[in-house]
Amino acid sequence: MGFDFQHCIRCTVCVANCPVFKVDPAFPGPKQSGPDAERFRSDDEASIDRWVRLCSQCKRCDVACPYSVHPAQIILREQTRYGEGHFRPLPYRLFANTYWLGALGSLIAPVINILTPRTFVKRVLNVFGISTSIPFPQYRFHSMNRSWRWKGRRRSRKKVVFFYGCFINYNRPDIGRGVRDLLASLGVRVVIPRQVCCGLPALGNGDMETARKFARKNARILAGYIDKGYEVVYTCTSCGLSLTQDYPGILGVPDGKKISENTYNLHEYILELMEEGYIEPTFEPLHRKIAYHIPCHLRALGIGYPAARLFEKIPGLEVHILEDNCCGLAGSYGFKKKHGETSAKLGSDAARAIKAIGPDIMMSDCGACKMQLGYFSGIPALDPSEILRQSLKVTDSGT
Amino acid sequence: MNAIYDVVIIGGGMSGMMAAAALAKNGRKVAVISKGDPVCCFSTGCIDLLADGDDPLKGIASLPDNHPYHLVGEDAIAHSLDLFQGIMSEGGMPYVGDVHANRRVLTSLGRCKSTCLVPETMEFSDFDSDEYIHVISFYKMKDFYPQYITSRYTNAGYSVFDPGVITTAGIAEKFENRPFLEAFISWVQGLDIPEGRIAMPAVLGRNLVGDVYHQISAGCGRKIFEIPTLPPSMPGLRLFGGLKKALLQKGVNLYWGKGIYSVEKLGNRIEAVTLASSGRATRVEGRAFILATGSFVSGGLQASMDTVTETVFDLPAYLPGARETWFNDDFFAAGHEIEKAGIRVDSSFRPVDTEIENLYVCGSILAFSEVMKYRCGHGMAIATGVAAANACGGLV
Repeated sequence: MGFDFQHCIRCTVCVANCPVFKVDPAFPGPKQSGPDAERFRSDDEASIDRWVRLCSQCKRCDVACPYSVHPAQIILREQTRYGEGHFRPLPYRLFANTYWLGALGSLIAPVINILTPRTFVKRVLNVFGISTSIPFPQYRFHSMNRSWRWKGRRRSRKKVVFFYGCFINYNRPDIGRGVRDLLASLGVRVVIPRQVCCGLPALGNGDMETARKFARKNARILAGYIDKGYEVVYTCTSCGLSLTQDYPGILGVPDGKKISENTYNLHEYILELMEEGYIEPTFEPLHRKIAYHIPCHLRALGIGYPAARLFEKIPGLEVHILEDNCCGLAGSYGFKKKHGETSAKLGSDAARAIKAIGPDIMMSDCGACKMQLGYFSGIPALDPSEILRQSLKVTDSGT
Repeated sequence: MNAIYDVVIIGGGMSGMMAAAALAKNGRKVAVISKGDPVCCFSTGCIDLLADGDDPLKGIASLPDNHPYHLVGEDAIAHSLDLFQGIMSEGGMPYVGDVHANRRVLTSLGRCKSTCLVPETMEFSDFDSDEYIHVISFYKMKDFYPQYITSRYTNAGYSVFDPGVITTAGIAEKFENRPFLEAFISWVQGLDIPEGRIAMPAVLGRNLVGDVYHQISAGCGRKIFEIPTLPPSMPGLRLFGGLKKALLQKGVNLYWGKGIYSVEKLGNRIEAVTLASSGRATRVEGRAFILATGSFVSGGLQASMDTVTETVFDLPAYLPGARETWFNDDFFAAGHEIEKAGIRVDSSFRPVDTEIENLYVCGSILAFSEVMKYRCGHGMAIATGVAAANACGGLV
């Protein structure tokens, strides 16, 4: 990090891009909580900036800053410093461990899925500071780590490790199995080793220690495969950001650089297969009008919008890209009661932009965006890989 | 490997975005790379063509021979502004104005600035000095003081509305929700403002500005106009947002938030650029490249003690002379010599003194543009952006 903050010229373009600042007057914005306050912070003194917790880590300021100051990175560091020195309320502790929460939810899926929509359960959750303004995601017993762990020819020239992430694992394993089948149908050998949470939820909830623990474990597994000639593919853009930016960056994971250099977004990977001439897929026409909500973390990855580039090749498909709104859920941010109002305001703004297009379906790479905006817009929310599978006629194997 | 893009544009400011729009309109496959949001976000949103004189288009003839406007020509400049106005109208943020007439826009300091095209929310900003102006300000809003305006005009008054928030972005967000807007309109209706025009700082929404503006106008039954504010400037952000939206609709691919890390050349041609990244670099390949990285503020040019360098391709940059000649003793004087620094181009916007064949340059990085002196920033960006796009459109 060093002295990047010194490059800030106080142009306020980060502030203009901050979704939280727009709707929550209590948050002083990325300029003041980032580079401005950084001048007064010292590693020798405890963190006192309570309001850094109001930042949702959407990283829109990082993308907007023309001087590479990275306000969100500065705030993230302070969030973890603040988290170390202060009491972390229950929601922070719970959501830092989304992975274990998911494991439990998946194990007792039928029970928990009946419980969470109940009014008395909601009341209890509210008491503990957890927001119930949007429905809790449904858990699935048949999770990714209970699915087939490999697919595709063993001797294939192209080999990937699929990093699926917690949301796909516990809540939407059907998307994950679909990605596995899709890659295999393109002649790619896919392996799905045991893996844990990428660490981003722990980091965002101010728990550096847990984040590092998760990251180190994944790094050992992934680096082992990379050494054997595999590449890493992710679909969740937040996991992707964590693997490529936080592993070598703030988490300082051994082999972080190696992982970062060998990790691909799913659609980026497929495009590259096509550009290399490894595959020449035939895209069947799909007559649909799609509102494509770009997740903030896809923007932050700085790889363009690879799914949109793939969709240009599908005849009949009408894709409208929406990239100016944050869905407001930001992982677990919107599930905290004190951010509930901010999250709902941003969610309804983003949903309004989607509905203005009048689409048949909305689409987003991120699980949280799909949950939030599917709820607020009332329009079915799909993953880009689901559309791709439809066009490439990849059938669902279901296991 | 097949070339992915016909044209790769480096720089997501006015010039780069207009070049992208012009190319995409002609069916070219275009990518825009930008390391961040451009300086037009801080602008007033007005399009200055040439601020001095009454007829900006005619005035171009009087500029020095080496000014980039001359490479474009009057007709093409007018066409490029038409293209711009068309794009903004499609996006629901129409611009009004005439390329043959400068108009006045009231600023938040109470002075007027001279400009050519303005967003429709500033259409009525050019008022007669004997007309009554009523300024509506917002309680404790940062950096906007109606007294600056009322102290300059005897026939003016002001009222203050409390929106509950104090920042430009916060108030603009409030205006986009209906109950707030209706409460505001009925508050204005209850004010009993004398006959005349109503002026407000530019906070009338961000994406939905058209709706907000027309509803307030209809509700108040007066001519209403916005006054551009200090950054964050809503009209600047709308301008950027409107252009970006148009690019996305035309299928332009955006790579935002990362600078250029390296350039791949093959012989005299640029093959690809790679983006700065913490890991594997994203590679963007193109048949032609347009450099629109702006001048010193935007980081397209960098000055050291004794020289000026171009930051992406290391092109030879024109230097107005030794360092002691760069600056005028009078800081506020119109034009310091250093503003002439930049990239010199031939008649087809290709940089001179370099072997590279498939590179074009546009915008304020061009040598001799002197945008501060002539106050021609956005106009020059639009005109040279479209001209560079047309020049390279023939190649790809």
